[in-house]
Order: sequence, then C-alpha cells, then structure tokens
Amino acid sequence: MANLNINSKKDNTYDAIVIGSGMSGGWAAKELCEKGLKTLVLERGREVKHVQDYPTTNKMPWEFEHRGAIPEEIKKENPVVSRCYAFREDAQHFFVKDQEHPYVQEKPFDWIRGYQTGGKSLLWARQVQRWSDFDFEGPARDGFAVDWPIRYQDIAPWYSHVEKFIGVSGNKDGRDNLPDGEFLPPFELTAGELYFKDFLRKNYPEREIIVARCAHITGNKEFYAKQGRALCQNRTLCQRGCPFGGYFSSNSSTLPWAANTGNLTMQHHAVVDSIIYDEAKGKATGVRVIDANTNETTEYYAKVIFVNASALNTNLILLNSTSSRFPQGLGNDSGVLGKYVAFHNYRAGISGEYDGLKEYTTEGRRPTSGYFPRFRNVYKQETDFLRGYAAGFSAHRSMITDYSGIGEELEQAITREEYGPWRVGSHMMGETIPKEESQVSLDPNKKDAWGIPQLKVSMDYDANDEAMIKDYLEQMTEMFEAAGFTNIRTRDDKRAPGLDIHEMGGARMGKDPETSVLNKWNQIHSCPNVYVTDGACMTSTSTQNPSLTYMAFAARAVDHAVKNMG
Amino acid sequence: MDRRSAMKQLALLTGGVVLIPACDFSEESILQAHQNLKITASQKELLTQVINTIFPGKVLKPSEELQLPDFVLVMCNDCLDKEQQETFVSGLQQWDAFSKEQFGKKFSQMNSTEAEDCLRTALTMDGKEEEKKSAIGFVNTTKRFALQGYLNSEYFMTEIKPYELVPARFYGSKKIENA
Repeated sequence: MANLNINSKKDNTYDAIVIGSGMSGGWAAKELCEKGLKTLVLERGREVKHVQDYPTTNKMPWEFEHRGAIPEEIKKENPVVSRCYAFREDAQHFFVKDQEHPYVQEKPFDWIRGYQTGGKSLLWARQVQRWSDFDFEGPARDGFAVDWPIRYQDIAPWYSHVEKFIGVSGNKDGRDNLPDGEFLPPFELTAGELYFKDFLRKNYPEREIIVARCAHITGNKEFYAKQGRALCQNRTLCQRGCPFGGYFSSNSSTLPWAANTGNLTMQHHAVVDSIIYDEAKGKATGVRVIDANTNETTEYYAKVIFVNASALNTNLILLNSTSSRFPQGLGNDSGVLGKYVAFHNYRAGISGEYDGLKEYTTEGRRPTSGYFPRFRNVYKQETDFLRGYAAGFSAHRSMITDYSGIGEELEQAITREEYGPWRVGSHMMGETIPKEESQVSLDPNKKDAWGIPQLKVSMDYDANDEAMIKDYLEQMTEMFEAAGFTNIRTRDDKRAPGLDIHEMGGARMGKDPETSVLNKWNQIHSCPNVYVTDGACMTSTSTQNPSLTYMAFAARAVDHAVKNMG
Repeated sequence: MDRRSAMKQLALLTGGVVLIPACDFSEESILQAHQNLKITASQKELLTQVINTIFPGKVLKPSEELQLPDFVLVMCNDCLDKEQQETFVSGLQQWDAFSKEQFGKKFSQMNSTEAEDCLRTALTMDGKEEEKKSAIGFVNTTKRFALQGYLNSEYFMTEIKPYELVPARFYGSKKIENA
C-alpha cells in the first residue's frame, strides 16, 4: 500500500468518484459535473477519444485484410469473445480478449467486456425501450425475486431527461406496455414489416410490430450540435465508433459534456480493487485503485461514490470490499450480494420468406429494426411459464446473384442481380427469472493479474426458459405461416448466457434491507453514500434492452445524492 | 524482419514476381502465408492459373490485377484451421496429378477452354470420397476465397457495384420501376 501523507490525500480527494466510464458511469459523471461536483472517473481500460481513436471508422470493406473475418489464431486464443456477433475485424480492438481478464465459469457464461473510455457504450446495439409497470410490477405479481421499490412514475421523468439528451429515434405508438418517450423522427418500417403489422392488426389485435426505438439522432440537430454530434448518416458501422456522433456513446456525448464543465478528472488504467469503508465514520470514504500498468496502489477519496463498473464487475468490487463491519462485502448484511443474477434469453430465432410485395424494395441502411413488444402474460398469466419475451422482427427484400458458375459466366452473373423474395426474421429476447442459485462470487484461490480474486460465475437456463423458447417458436411459426411466409426455419443456438450482453442483478434494489442490497434511490442500504446504478442494481430483467434504464437510474440517483449531500 | 527484406524473400518465393503492395493487406502477411503454407513458385503459378480460370477477365478485370492469388493464400493461412489448411495445400500439390487422372491432362497444360471444363466439373464433384477430398477441397476453397476477394475488391466495390460508406438515407418501401 502506498504511503499517504496529508498533501497527497488532499490531492486525491474529490467531491465524487465514479467507477466506470461506460453507459451509466458516463451519465453519473455528466450529472455530477453539471451540478458542480469535482468528479473523478476511474476507467480500468485505455483512453479512447471520440473520433480520433476510432481507427477503422472510415475504412472501406476492401481495406480490411480479412474482409471483416477474425483470423483463426485469434479465435482459438479467445473462444469467449469470438462468439460475440460484433467481435469482427473492424471492432475487435474495443473488446476484452479472454486472457486479459480471466474469470471462472462454474457454468458456461460468455462474459463480453469493453475496457476503455466509454466501455461497451461504443459497441452497444443502441436499442432503448422504456420499461412500464407491467415490468416493474412483475416480481410482485408473479411471486419471484423481490418487489421493485419503484414504479414507472418514479423513473418516467428520468427516462425523458436521458432521452432528450442522448437522442432517441422512435414513433409514438401509444402502447401501455412500452411507454412512449421523447422521440426524434422514427426510422421507417419496411414494406414487408408493414405488411406483417397489418396482418397482426387483423388477426392478432393484441399484438403489434413497431419500429424499435434507438439512440440515434434523426432530428433537432441544433440541439445535438452543442454536444458536437450530428445526424445519423445510416452507415450502420456503429461498432467502429461514429465520426458523426450519430449514435449515443459516453465518448461522443456525456464524457465530453462533463469535461466541458471543468469539473471532470478522468483516470485511465485504473483498476478498482475495493471501496474503502471507514468504521468510525460509518461510511465509505474512497476507492483503492491499482494502476493496470505499474501495479501501484493509490487511494482516492470522495463524499459520494458511484459504482458503474458493469453489472458483474460491480459485484466483484463490492464483494472484494471487505471490512470488519462488512466481512462479506460492502453492504452485504443480507447475504444476497452476488445472488439473483440473471440475463436475457436470446437463444431462439426464426426466418422465412414472403413472395408478395414484388413492386417494393428498401433503399439505404437502417440502424434499427422492427420490434415485437411482449405479448405473453402481460395483462394476466396465460401460459405455463412465467413472464414473456419481446422479439426483434425485420423484413428486407433480398437480391439474388448466381455465384455457381466460373469464367465469363460468373463474371456476367456477378454484375447482375435480381430481386428475390422478401426475407423475414425474428429473434427472441426473453425475460429470465433471478434465482438465489444464480450467482457470482469470488474464487477463493484464483487471482487476476492485479491480485484481485477472479469472479466465479454460475447461472444457467431453467425449465421456465425452455418453456418460453418452445412457446416463442410455436407462436412465431404459427404467425409466420398464417401470414403466408414460406421456407420457415426455426433455430435454438443453445448459446451460453452472457452473449446477450444483458447480465443483470447481484446488488438488487428492494424495499427490505434483509433481502436486497440497494434502496429505491440505488443507495446501499447500510452504506448510503455508495450508489450502484449499473446493471447490478436490477431486481428483475424484463425483456427490454436495459441500458436506457441504467442511464435513467444514474441521473435520478445523482439528483438524490446531490440534494442530500448537505 | 523489415519490409525490404520481407519483400526480397517474397520475390524469391514467388519466382521473382513482386506485386505492388496494395493498402488492403500487408506484404508481411503475404510472405507469412507463403512460408507457413510452404507454397513453391510453381504451386503459386498453378494456383494463379486456377484463379484466372475462375475470373479470366473477359467481362471484368482479370483476377491478377486484383491480387486474388495472394488474397486466397492470406485467407487460407489466417482464416482456416489446421485441418482445412492441410486439405488446401495437399489439394494444390495434387492438383496437376488429379486433373491428369480425371481429365487426361495436367491442369497446368490445359488451354483455357479445357481448364474451364475441368474446373467446372471438379466443382460439382463429391469431395467426400477419400481420394478426391483434398483436390475438391482445394478447388472449392479457392473459389470461395477468390469470389470473396473479387466481390470485396476496391475495383468491384467502386466501379461495378459501388459501396456507399455514407448512405444518409433509408426508405422502407421503395417502388421498383418496371417491377
């Protein structure tokens, strides 16, 4: 441990510390800095500056040595990250390689991580659907996990606050189970999607296809110009980092905004070992940080600490923050810390063709897709499994080229293309139930390169998930057939949990300190100057892509923290 | 190894033919592919002949102008597993003997019509039979990577089917004229 004198203690003292610069940490930083707090953001990875550190962003397809493919050697060395859909030649530099931060898989779990400025906000799928009370009331109604300590009305203004700033393209659909927000103009549904939407209206009136709300700027450009961001240009190369700032990331938006206040200090290569708890003061006083390169330990101090290290790493930090007051990890009086983790079930999908709409096609590219809000068990329990699934849905006109020949025949063929049938497809996004046996813990023996215990992960699909997969495939097949789609193929890719990149929970919110870690303001019940506003706070998972909710929690929690700082 | 000596070695390996390096893959990768796969100058020539048969340049630019032989080798070296690589290399080694046995003439001695007929037939053959496995694997892999390289070449993506880096639009229901 470094020797600390009074001066260095003063130098290392801030009003607030935020652990993590990703989606939710960036939001905490922006809000804290705007409210005048000197804020230190600790990022364990390297610095990635907006635009200038996006090395592939303007590359043409032929400029990639392997035309996008990941070489076999890298795949062999990195089986986990290689299974991620976005781990391709153009964005591989934004992913953590398997050996860089090992963990223990008690059950198979593909942990996808981004250690750099902005974390995974550079790489996300940019889907931002609000939760409704059908989601927040789920655990209480259906008898699992614990009741959420908040309801939609508590978070709705914060959804609006976040949406206005990040820029959300969407349509006001007027659905009670997927509330409307502050929307910029929506992207269009395709002719094929509109056909299916109309088919549903006539045949399944309670089911609907909408265009998925996404964090892309499609209007109000003067407002976003203040962030240095411009309209989305439909490149759909988002995972490389966007030179226009067309989609939201911490790098393009919240962090530069926070920096402009003059209140932000960013520290990179800062691996957080633990949060320091002062027994005499009865609160957390700072954070113990190991420099990723030099292994040197430094302590930083602040009145309030936000933990936004990503769902599982936040659990790791809290579990590793032991003291005589908290021998099982910070705030873990109840023993539930690390438990009741869950994820989204993305295993199943379906595809097919539609031979109609011959006179239509699509043009250009769209950074989102159609979206099927949850229709199962919404108003009442109607199946033999709990909860339900949302689904992606898209339809595109295919182009057919005959690649079978060689010689002149092939050369002729590749210069021509003919319109083929519409191709339709969907993938499920199922809610999974947080259970006590689904948990993360510290491995008693294995340590990482910085001497921190490795995280042991143990979560799996259960009978409820299997029943939901079966139902999704049955329901989609039935609807696809009835809509006149042909060549219908279903799949269950049996992927391990984790590839959804929606792991949640472990430090869940709740009303009762006996059964939860955080209160309704995302404060640790027994250590209220520590706030957790990333995926670790989630009591249940619902079906919506969770980032928007994390950002709203972060902004709401900062507001609460600052009002109560005294 | 520095670039200059890498290029020298490459020149030796490829029988003195040094290609002007393109920005899309490095000469180091080409050199590594030649070394790891142990490709001789005559094998490289034979591979080039196979690829030229696939893309003879009758309607479009010929394959060599797009450096397709090097692209195919780099992809084989970097993006195939060991077993697939071995199949490719032994198929290339056997290719002349195989074509002689199946078509009565070494591929390297065929004129362009004969080469095209030979390749067209070979590509439809069942590669599951043990004695055909390598040769058929080789021609299929070569065609796959040659096609990928062609369709994703700067030439094809600018002059034949232009790729738009910045489309700046999306229309979900565009009416097709003369549909």
